[in-house]
Amino acid sequence: MKITVDIIVNGELCREEVEVQTTLLEFLRGTLHLTGTKEGCGLGDCGTCIVLLDGKPVNSCLVLAADAHGREVTTIEGLAEDGRLHPVQQSFIDNGAVQCGFCTPAMILTAKALLENKPDPGEGEIKQALGGILCRCGSYRKILKSVQAAAKEAR
Amino acid sequence: MLQNGSPYVGKRVLRVDAPAKVTGNAVYGVDIELPGMLHGAALRSPHPHAKIIAMDTSAALKAPGVRAVVTGRDFPYLFGDMVRDQPFLAIDRVRFVGDPVAAVAAETEAQALEALEKIRVQYEELPAVFDPREAMAEGAPLVHPDFDTYHRNIPASMVPGTNICVTRKFSLGDVEKGFAEADEIFSDTFSAQALSHAAMEPHAAVARYTPLDGCYTVWSASDRPQRLHKELADALGLEHTRVRFIVPYVGGSYGGKNTLRAEAVAVALSRFTHGRPVKVVFSRAESLTATQTRLAAYMQLTTGVKKDGLFTARRAEIVWDNGAYMSNAPGVANRGVLTILGPYRIPNLDLVSRLVYTNQETTGSYRGFGTTQVTWACEVQMDIMAAKLGIDPLAIRLMNAYVEGDAYINGQIMRDVRARETIAAAGREIKLETGSPNPSPTRRRGKGIATMLKSTATPTDSFCTLKVDVDGKVTVFSSSSEIGAGEKTVMAQIAADAVGVPLAAVSVPNPDTAITPYDHGVSSSRTTFHMGNCIHRAGRDMQRRLLEFASGVLAADPSRLTLSDGYILEAGGGRRMTLKDLLAKKFNGKSGAMFSEGHFTPAGNPVLEAREGLKGISSIFWMFATHAVEVEVDTETGVVQVLKVAAAHDIGRAINPTGCEQQIEGSVILGISNTLFEEFKTERGRILNDTFSDYKLATMEDVPGIVSILVEAGPDREALAAAKGIGEPAAAATAPAIANAVYNAVGIRIRDLPITPDKVLAALQQKDNQKGH
Amino acid sequence: MNRLKAFAYFEPAALKEAVEILTRNNGGAFLLAGGTDLLVRMKRGVIRPAVLVNLKRIRDLNGIQGDQESGTRIGALTPIADIENAAVVHQNHPVLAQAAGVLGAPPLRNLATLGGNIGRASPASDMAPSLMVLQARVAVAGTSGQREVEIDGIFKGPGSTILAAGEIMTAFIIPAMTPHTGAAYLKMGRRSGGGDCALAGVAALLTLESGEVGKVRIALSSVGPTTLRARKAEAVLLSGALTDERMQQAARAAADEATPITDMRCSASYRKEIIKVLTYRALQEAARKARGGMTT
Repeated sequence: MKITVDIIVNGELCREEVEVQTTLLEFLRGTLHLTGTKEGCGLGDCGTCIVLLDGKPVNSCLVLAADAHGREVTTIEGLAEDGRLHPVQQSFIDNGAVQCGFCTPAMILTAKALLENKPDPGEGEIKQALGGILCRCGSYRKILKSVQAAAKEAR
Repeated sequence: MLQNGSPYVGKRVLRVDAPAKVTGNAVYGVDIELPGMLHGAALRSPHPHAKIIAMDTSAALKAPGVRAVVTGRDFPYLFGDMVRDQPFLAIDRVRFVGDPVAAVAAETEAQALEALEKIRVQYEELPAVFDPREAMAEGAPLVHPDFDTYHRNIPASMVPGTNICVTRKFSLGDVEKGFAEADEIFSDTFSAQALSHAAMEPHAAVARYTPLDGCYTVWSASDRPQRLHKELADALGLEHTRVRFIVPYVGGSYGGKNTLRAEAVAVALSRFTHGRPVKVVFSRAESLTATQTRLAAYMQLTTGVKKDGLFTARRAEIVWDNGAYMSNAPGVANRGVLTILGPYRIPNLDLVSRLVYTNQETTGSYRGFGTTQVTWACEVQMDIMAAKLGIDPLAIRLMNAYVEGDAYINGQIMRDVRARETIAAAGREIKLETGSPNPSPTRRRGKGIATMLKSTATPTDSFCTLKVDVDGKVTVFSSSSEIGAGEKTVMAQIAADAVGVPLAAVSVPNPDTAITPYDHGVSSSRTTFHMGNCIHRAGRDMQRRLLEFASGVLAADPSRLTLSDGYILEAGGGRRMTLKDLLAKKFNGKSGAMFSEGHFTPAGNPVLEAREGLKGISSIFWMFATHAVEVEVDTETGVVQVLKVAAAHDIGRAINPTGCEQQIEGSVILGISNTLFEEFKTERGRILNDTFSDYKLATMEDVPGIVSILVEAGPDREALAAAKGIGEPAAAATAPAIANAVYNAVGIRIRDLPITPDKVLAALQQKDNQKGH
Repeated sequence: MNRLKAFAYFEPAALKEAVEILTRNNGGAFLLAGGTDLLVRMKRGVIRPAVLVNLKRIRDLNGIQGDQESGTRIGALTPIADIENAAVVHQNHPVLAQAAGVLGAPPLRNLATLGGNIGRASPASDMAPSLMVLQARVAVAGTSGQREVEIDGIFKGPGSTILAAGEIMTAFIIPAMTPHTGAAYLKMGRRSGGGDCALAGVAALLTLESGEVGKVRIALSSVGPTTLRARKAEAVLLSGALTDERMQQAARAAADEATPITDMRCSASYRKEIIKVLTYRALQEAARKARGGMTT
């Protein structure tokens, strides 16, 4: 069964016809060819598929594209503006928070959303906010440091 | 000579791949899209051991979107770097739950998966074995009764009537005499569990077969594309040049992406899709259950010590689980058995290692290559002995540890040995001598330490090519994949310094076996040293030729010229011209490029000399590491929390200190996760916990404070001569350090990994019962 | 990777329409709320719904209202994250926010709903124990109109509720709490952070009247076919002084009442041990809050 969805992705309205069982993740990666959002497990356990839906981090592998109809989605591709990196992106580079990079988009987006909500988060709050994203390279400490540095920089 | 004032080597250079990764622009294996691409998936055996009686693929062939259905009979090849025992798709038999038996290529992944459900397979179950200790007994059901018919690249022979496929023995001195001289003999059994690498990027590959020339191109997230394309070519009976491997960014490997997994399915399918590429992306369940795991190991250690703590003898017997097919497990078993003595002088040794086939998931390399398992045994027993003898854990290690000039078990004289420095540094940082106050009667804290050594595969080869374009840009052609450990960055730093250009002028494209020359692979913690030295040579050669040309252009004495940061400098004269201008002159204002090549191998280096016939065990460098940890144990629930880790690593020279920290912190966390949370729950060979919900990895909330201590050679030493490796050692020392800290906290010994709360609680209760409470 | 198979899909704008679709399909239609459980089971092939009914377009199923006098009303489609963060919940029934805060991870909590969690009827539900000790009622809409069901009676067995084929949970009504009441929800997962599926979980609620236990409710998760009321443990504490010894006794009773199984996650005996420890700790925390003059 096909449906038409209107989803605002990184500020641009995307109207596409998709099978109803298409997840938001498949819509982003398969229909729109935005491969920055990753699929590490497809079952909501790893967090690498996290995007911002109306500003809130969600596991896009568990959201039907139909449920994003009329809503705003931010992916990692939507953060930099005209070649200028978002402060969180820059902080990740500056603080050595990137190794294999597979969890990086999800970590950055979730950190961005956290800082917009809580500009001065404590270590425990950062750990909890990012606790749903697995990083097998074990960059957790430097990711934590990057978020703290970005928060400090913004103040 | 790379001076210590080098602009980039030794500095905290930002990762050159980070910008692509933070913007979502980095392309991984899972992201590749090619024109006409099909999607493939594999049907897998539900049985651990069975004959395939019949298969009916007719309904699948007719399913919507299906372009090819392939079985083992259509593609009856075997692959395997060491022993060619593994079919691309099972031919007449399946040997583990998950063994692929057929594959479908369709227009969409969903169509391929739907078509798989239409394939009918008739199996006849066979008796199966799951525990290598049972599988090694005579009369056990044989996993590979036709072993002798397989092509073998290593000396491997089955012990008749058993599943033991590789046996390795090593003796030194006279163990019986050594035990006779001992004041105490300790005999303990330990086990280390199978583990998944659990890279966040699932296994993925794209294969394209071009019918016109019978060639394969494979996009594979491999850590060893040069050896792997040969492995594939050999399996198919093709000349090596007919197989090309292109490597995208790799979303983590840790030793798990070095053979044909998604590649095997994709290649088999691509043969039948008339030139259309086929992409295969494994599900998380497939990556967890049907690729490769760490070798489970069962270790018996009998050690003789004098009452002052010095070793006299060690006998070790290790039984390793090879799983159903042979990957590089023999190398792992070998490395493990030769390092179960730890970084210690033990004059009398009797070491036996047996690798055994079972009907379980194939096992193979895992960060540490055997050292994680044996270090567990060695270092837990170390503390058992220290406790019994009444010797401090720090002291017993310091007194036995190798020092500069000691001979390894094969007679190689070890140089650049800083084992004791790492022991002292880690102990100091964690304040091992000082106890930790317990927050409450039911929350008890303790500290523990463990030390380890690892060699690097020796000798291995690295080749590279450098190109300098007319605009002064340097390109490094290297087959070293960026698997996440910062390979590209280190290569760029070294190239920039060696040629004399700004880092921003250097680019390191991804490997492509048609273009980038041979390299042994990103493994064994070898890349910085081997590929680094290789690039350094190529860079210096390029610089020399550029300066020679410059001396003509500038009418200057070439010995007075240097190239630095893209400028030709003359001693006493400052900047004379830019590299760009020089090249414009060389190419008369038109386009052009200069090439240089590099080759590095430690083969023939006199430091490798050893006793007759044992040179193969020598290592071009020895890595030492010590971890000291502080834990807290909840005595009511058995939960162990790691509070702090001090990780001291003898790395020789940090080419990029941030990169070193990334690797140390990363493998400490891997070590914590492996030790406290990870294990496979199996039922007759079937892995039950095939999701990240139930195969649990450490999250950010589990991370303790980590202090990385880099122990380096003196400043007089040339960087690339002193540099060692960093990728693996940290993975090994964490587990036993945690176990030793738990003992320090609550007085219980865990000998079998993982250290789970229920095990701890049961041990605590047993201890209480013994006390008569 | 796992892909969803095709299904017929409805987005009713009104509750009546949703009820009608459900009734028409007589058990063959599945309700899509947050999707964090449904879509996972579909992807794993555990269930294969022919029809999916998305409830999220229906107004008034999402939202939290209430005050300390009248209690709290939480729409069934309210995301768990909203429950975790709502000032109303923190004020009226903080134990619910505590439970919400350990369910999965924050991005999952932005999707998962209270109705979805209770409707799934997992014996490991993180939300059921605290709803139970709070004596919540569930508002249910069906073909014969609206009714309310006590949360204690909503679960039939593992994975099933007493709801009929055409019925939909619309809201959770939590009565106002009496003064000097304290409650806590503690769970044990595999890792430090909350997120794991509970190996065992305990919610405890205590109301103190002149230093004696006027009301006590204890609910256990993951140790029975459904969330269990630990009535024997409650009986130990009711109408007596709240002493440490009696809390320990109650904890042991709770462990005895628990009927855990051994599964791939852990053994029955370990679960019983944890129930004992968590019950004691939850009672301690509840007592602290009750003595502090708080309402739950």
